[in-house]
Amino acid sequence: MRYDPPLQKTQGLWPLLLAVVALVAYPFVFEATYFRHVMILAFVFAIVATSWDFSLGFGGLFNFAHVALFAVGIYTYAILAKTLGVSPWLAILAGGFTSAFVALLISIPVLRLDGIYVILVTIAFSQLLYLIVISASSVTGGTSGMVTLPTLTINGYRLSGDGRIGYYFVGLGLLAANILFLYLVTRSRLGRATVALKDNKYYAIARGISEARTRALTLMASAVFTGLAGAFYAAYLRVASPDAFGMGFLTLLLSILLMGGAGTIWGPVIAAFGISVISEWLSGFGAWQNIVISVAIILVVVLYPGGLWAAIQEIREAVDNVRTGTLARLRRNRGRAEREALTGATERMIRTRFAEIAVADTGEAEKPALLFCHGNSACKEAFYKQFRSMSDTHRVIAFDLPGHGVSGNGDPETTYNVAAYAEIAEAVLADCGVDKVAVFGWSLGGYVALELAARGNVEVTALAIAGTPPLAVVPEDFGNGYNPDSHLVLAGKQYFSRQEARDYGNSATAPISADSAFMHRNLPRTDGRARVYMMTKISIIDWPRQMRMLAEGRIPFAILNGSDDPFLNHGYIARLNYGSIWRGAPQDIMGGRHAPFFNKPDAFDLAFYAFLRDAESGSDATFRPSRMAATA
Amino acid sequence: MDPITLISIIKGGLILGALYALMATGLSLVWTTLGIFNFAHGAFIALGAYVAWQFSSADALGWPMLPAVLLTCAVMFLVGVILHFLLVKPFERRSDVVLIAVITTLAGSTILENGLLLIWGPRSKQIEPLTRGEVDLAGLHLTTAEILLLVLVLAILLGIGMFLRYSRPGRSMRAVSQNREAAQLLGLDVPKLYAIAFGLSALTAGLAGIFLGTIRFMHPAMGSEPLMKALVVVIFGGVARFSSPIYAAFIIGLLEAFSTYIFGVYWAPAVLFVTMIVVLLVKPEGLFGKYQRTL
Repeated sequence: MRYDPPLQKTQGLWPLLLAVVALVAYPFVFEATYFRHVMILAFVFAIVATSWDFSLGFGGLFNFAHVALFAVGIYTYAILAKTLGVSPWLAILAGGFTSAFVALLISIPVLRLDGIYVILVTIAFSQLLYLIVISASSVTGGTSGMVTLPTLTINGYRLSGDGRIGYYFVGLGLLAANILFLYLVTRSRLGRATVALKDNKYYAIARGISEARTRALTLMASAVFTGLAGAFYAAYLRVASPDAFGMGFLTLLLSILLMGGAGTIWGPVIAAFGISVISEWLSGFGAWQNIVISVAIILVVVLYPGGLWAAIQEIREAVDNVRTGTLARLRRNRGRAEREALTGATERMIRTRFAEIAVADTGEAEKPALLFCHGNSACKEAFYKQFRSMSDTHRVIAFDLPGHGVSGNGDPETTYNVAAYAEIAEAVLADCGVDKVAVFGWSLGGYVALELAARGNVEVTALAIAGTPPLAVVPEDFGNGYNPDSHLVLAGKQYFSRQEARDYGNSATAPISADSAFMHRNLPRTDGRARVYMMTKISIIDWPRQMRMLAEGRIPFAILNGSDDPFLNHGYIARLNYGSIWRGAPQDIMGGRHAPFFNKPDAFDLAFYAFLRDAESGSDATFRPSRMAATA
Repeated sequence: MDPITLISIIKGGLILGALYALMATGLSLVWTTLGIFNFAHGAFIALGAYVAWQFSSADALGWPMLPAVLLTCAVMFLVGVILHFLLVKPFERRSDVVLIAVITTLAGSTILENGLLLIWGPRSKQIEPLTRGEVDLAGLHLTTAEILLLVLVLAILLGIGMFLRYSRPGRSMRAVSQNREAAQLLGLDVPKLYAIAFGLSALTAGLAGIFLGTIRFMHPAMGSEPLMKALVVVIFGGVARFSSPIYAAFIIGLLEAFSTYIFGVYWAPAVLFVTMIVVLLVKPEGLFGKYQRTL
């Protein structure tokens, strides 16, 4: 499932541009050398911490020799530029190469190991490098290190001149290149394999990812810019000291990584600036500097394991919750007449144990009841065409899922999952006084409809779904039932950029037109947590129960997919075992897309009516086992 | 190599081995029982040395050695229990406890070492040796302090071994390390046993610190180098049995003594680390360990 919009189309673009402008302007505002010095250190720490995060946070490889890779960059520069007299710029490049090479060496003993052994071996490896540096004092200067290393120059201009402005911009450029590199790598095949190995090692290996090769490449990728940063650091401070191997430096970087948030690129970058400033400020306090940083590390791990990045995300989530909740409350009153005119039904709010739910109901209790369940990030008005065409013969009921439409937001942990949605549907029916109902579910609503029928608390007289591949085993069937080359992956994404909202709305309902504009207006109201939690809690549903129900075939059942549904793998749906399905197979609405009742209302209504009639008469001729079930 | 040199190398190796055995035993006690690696162990070593110095040195309280050592043991046990509650206990149930414990114990070690620096200052100290006698055995020169060290370490290890083997809390600790859930189902107080294991480990570290303090100069970071050696020992020997790090400690001690003689004092540690990495490549479970597939 690949959906990676380019950076300029995501919401991260503006903060990034602002940060770049601020960083470029910084040295012209703060001309004191000290202010620039702190920032140059922050650039270096940010590079090392984010690179480390690629192996540790993204890859779950606890490489505690990462700081040694930094030191390798330092000594490469020192030896090449001073002892051998190579051009300093070439020596910096060489720092990246040697660091990557050493990472390759480290990866050899690490390949067979797991968990704590990786930590121990990498620490041992870093000690080994330290001891070699100490011992080979004729080359490295031993414990006293090397001093007066050559400085960087461009055409004779020393970068340390003019208050170190040259170093400032080289450091900034290196950081930018490092972030770009990591951004691209995490989105590449290697980055995905790295994360896959961390998330589910054996599944990833079974899917053909080579653990050994991926580990080696991950470590090397995380080493390149670490080595470059080390060489740059040596060129800047003009000193190569074995202190770089020490626990103090390791602790500092670890604190940047943890406070920023492991598994993110931006978190450690932001934390690097904050902690460099604090660390420099504390450096006047001697031993207290390390104590304060260490206490801070422990506190973050205890109180805020996700780090700064998690805090930012929580704030963002809280803001978004207020925004969507307020929007829903405002629209409840202001747009109500418009919505009621659209559907011709009256809207009322009911209380459920999860959230306040908006219900549209045409009333008229004497007609057979018909319940519509809408899909992800949609609203009950998606069915307005059916409200108009079917209310003559049926009592049409639809409701907004919690976090959708004008219903309230709910507690994400308990509310945003298919089982809770089915319980809410039961509550809605109970409130309407309906005990026998025909149900149509669309997409996510299809699962709600299936779950409602499988729970068996309400008598379902007929059950139809569209855009919903029934699942037996998740996540495997999720991969089988859907077409990965679509905007489907957005269905579980918390925040949509404008482009993403448009993409998702276009694929899920219909491209923007006068007819569908209200659906596109409704979409940004959806509580982003509803998408995320629904998707992550997909494994808590009793899917096999739904499958058993379909295989037994006691409830008249129909599948009315759009033939051009971009999300579905139609072959998967056709191959399932249905004990009794209308006309013996899924019926495609020709030319219909993910919402056939919206795109092709006439053809859909014709089919749906025919199904409801057949369900009422219960003729065996029209309800047959599917081909699979017949041969089984 | 003449026999006298050979014997004195072996003597040096045995003394190193005894010290490493004491440190590695403490380290492996926590590792096997709690399943985590305690990076504050080196700081415990330094802390034990400083506390003992405070009690025994003529410049400080100036107590006789025996009460000073006993009190140091008590203090170290208490410190171990407290640090277990602060650094490890909050994360016990987290799935990534191994990594978190590395981070928190590293941080704890930094806090302890810098705390030592703040309290006792950077000036080097030394604990008075227990005895100052010397013995000549068939041309081999030995100090009574060295003999006492060997004897005492072996006695302490024997004591810990007996404790683990025969006493009720010791047997409970081994049960917990074998299967935490089953031990808990049988009614063992697992959190208490964890605290005891951590305290006992800190106690052995403190004893190691006292021995180190009598033969070397003390400084706040004095534990980090022995910790690395203990790490090598534990990986080299594995932790399958209580005795495996002890055998490994003596092997490593002898190896270090010989490689110091052959390659010089600077390159000897490198030889040890290379040996350890090779062992890990060939037999990741350690020389005396049994192969176990871990998930």
